[in-house]
Amino acid sequence: MSENIGAEKTEEHAEKSKSERGFSDPTSNHLSGPATTLDTKTGPSLPYLFEAVGIAKKFEDGQVHALRGVNLRVMAGEFIAVTGPSGCGKTTLLQMLGALDRPTKGTLLYRGNSIPDLRDPWRYRALEIGFIFQAFHLLPTFTALENVQIPMFENHLSAAERKDRAVGLLKSVGLKNRLDHFPAKLSGGERQRVAIARSLANSPSVLLADEPTGNLDSENAHLILELIARLHHEQNMTLVLVTHDIGIAQRASRIIQMKDGRIVTDSESIIVRK
Amino acid sequence: MTFFTVVARGLIRRPVRTGLTVLGISVGIAAVVALVGISRGFSKSWETGMKARGTDVVISNMGSSLIPKPFSASVIDRIAHLPHVAATCGILVDLISVENAQMIMVSAREWGGFSWNNLKLISGRMPHDATEPAVLLGRTAANVLNKKVGDKIQIETGELSVIGIVDGNAWVENGSIILALPLFQEITGNLGKINIVDLRVNPSTSAKDVQRLCEQINSLVPEGRAVVAGEHITDSEAYRMAQAMSWGTSLLAVLVGVLGVMNTMLMTVFERTQEICILLALGWKRGRIIRMVLWESAMLGLLGGVAGVLIGSVGVRILGRTPSIRGLLEPDLSTGLLAVSVAIAVAVGVVSGLYPAWRSSRLVPSRALQS
Ligand SMILES: Nc1ncnc2c1ncn2[C@@H]1O[C@H](COP(=O)(O)OP(=O)(O)O)[C@@H](O)[C@H]1O
Ligand SMILES: [Mg+2]
Repeated sequence: MSENIGAEKTEEHAEKSKSERGFSDPTSNHLSGPATTLDTKTGPSLPYLFEAVGIAKKFEDGQVHALRGVNLRVMAGEFIAVTGPSGCGKTTLLQMLGALDRPTKGTLLYRGNSIPDLRDPWRYRALEIGFIFQAFHLLPTFTALENVQIPMFENHLSAAERKDRAVGLLKSVGLKNRLDHFPAKLSGGERQRVAIARSLANSPSVLLADEPTGNLDSENAHLILELIARLHHEQNMTLVLVTHDIGIAQRASRIIQMKDGRIVTDSESIIVRK
Repeated sequence: MTFFTVVARGLIRRPVRTGLTVLGISVGIAAVVALVGISRGFSKSWETGMKARGTDVVISNMGSSLIPKPFSASVIDRIAHLPHVAATCGILVDLISVENAQMIMVSAREWGGFSWNNLKLISGRMPHDATEPAVLLGRTAANVLNKKVGDKIQIETGELSVIGIVDGNAWVENGSIILALPLFQEITGNLGKINIVDLRVNPSTSAKDVQRLCEQINSLVPEGRAVVAGEHITDSEAYRMAQAMSWGTSLLAVLVGVLGVMNTMLMTVFERTQEICILLALGWKRGRIIRMVLWESAMLGLLGGVAGVLIGSVGVRILGRTPSIRGLLEPDLSTGLLAVSVAIAVAVGVVSGLYPAWRSSRLVPSRALQS
């Protein structure tokens, strides 16, 4: 692990593809379907990256109410730690933010565009969001280098460019010597670093990390956390991190506590370290 | 890494299953190649045989057996005088067992008829007359029977001498025992009977006139049917049945292949639910997932098709060498048939992949990723 995570190339690439993606201009409905239903009288939602109003999620199978009306506004560049007991809906919230599933009720906007109404949700997932899972979720039949390239298929890169970029990302997470290893041959910490490199594949604006250190020993957990924290302040990425570890949470710029599908406390300004 | 690396990785992750699926398709495709190849080869052999004998029109009663029904030789008298008819030759053919050959074609021809003219002597000589107790052997027949000029040959109750080995310029001709008509009529107790009339028309006759001639013959000769030489075999009920059966069996084999591939691809999709959800979560388009599954199943089809064509061709060649079949027909393994077979296999793959692909694209990415 060394230098700048994601190198300048990443930055420049991000610049270019962002404007192509059409997320920077909230008045353009390039990516959203019919106009979103947010109450326009409250003014433009421009300053917020995410804006959630009363989102609820009920799972069809059974009466599980995973989210019961979550209100949340996230500014670009924030580092938010989400905590709360198991089963309180943290993962579900992250999945809504990442367009992996749609809320049953409520409004959820990204740069003013309704996430559930995105015409090309894949584009949003591929280019705007980097997801890091507790269980790593690497593809077992692909090497570290190949795993990092998987999200790049939805970007206009040649095979050679994809490879170069993946090599650069793996180097930046300190896995220069593990390029051709399959996940089974990597330690837990190494796997999560591959997953982090993969989440950066298309230089996303947002990192959603769901208990990224939950499956790691304390030493590796520390390394991974350092890495993620560095990503946040070096690249000015918005970071939403689910964790049980209060020590980790205290490094965030804001801590959100959830319980029973609701946000119970939201400290907007705890900055422990800069 | 390209998209096809992903497709290939999907196939080699379960080599045994992939291998068995490919084998399953290949057996089906081998059946298509063998059955259709043989039935087509059969008709092709007849046609080229007909051409080699210099026939323009064939009169016979193919009925529902492989060998036409005998009728009186006097039929020739009724048609010889018709306009455009240049020459006729009465023939009595049969498929019988001769010595060590299970089934061999015996072709007895009217002495002096034009059907003798295209036989080229390789060794020995032609018979002196219609009564000489002698036969000619096509080169393949000589080989199958293991006979040379001067040997004796037992055909049913008659003992005859082999006096010549000939090249008849066609598979059927080369696989036949050829002798004068009266000899065979006597041996088989078919006195005064023939079952084929070869007819040659004047060189200037138009196709339309040939057609008209056939109609005329058909009204004059209720015992048989006159057919233009090339269409002769396809007119046969037996041939049509063989054709239908070979395609029917092939269809069944292909259907089994479809079920096999579909099963494999469904297993793949179910077993990879989580991985597909990961791909979706990482931003893969549903269309790309569908393409991945379809390419995988198309590749299974392609591999099975190529293997099947190989197995089928080799199998048919081996079959063609067995004594009981050798000399009877030349399997048609044209590139056309082989290409069609591979295309069928690929189509089987794609069709079988449709449902699994649709299933995979319907997955909600969050489902498998609750952690
Ligand atoms: N796909 C699903 N189907 C049904 N219930 C689910 C599903 N996913 C999550 N849940 C339920 O929703 C609630 C919240 O889950 P989750 O968001 O994973 O909690 P957390 O991440 O805070 O532990 C839990 O009760 C869980 O069992
Ligand atoms: Mg969770």
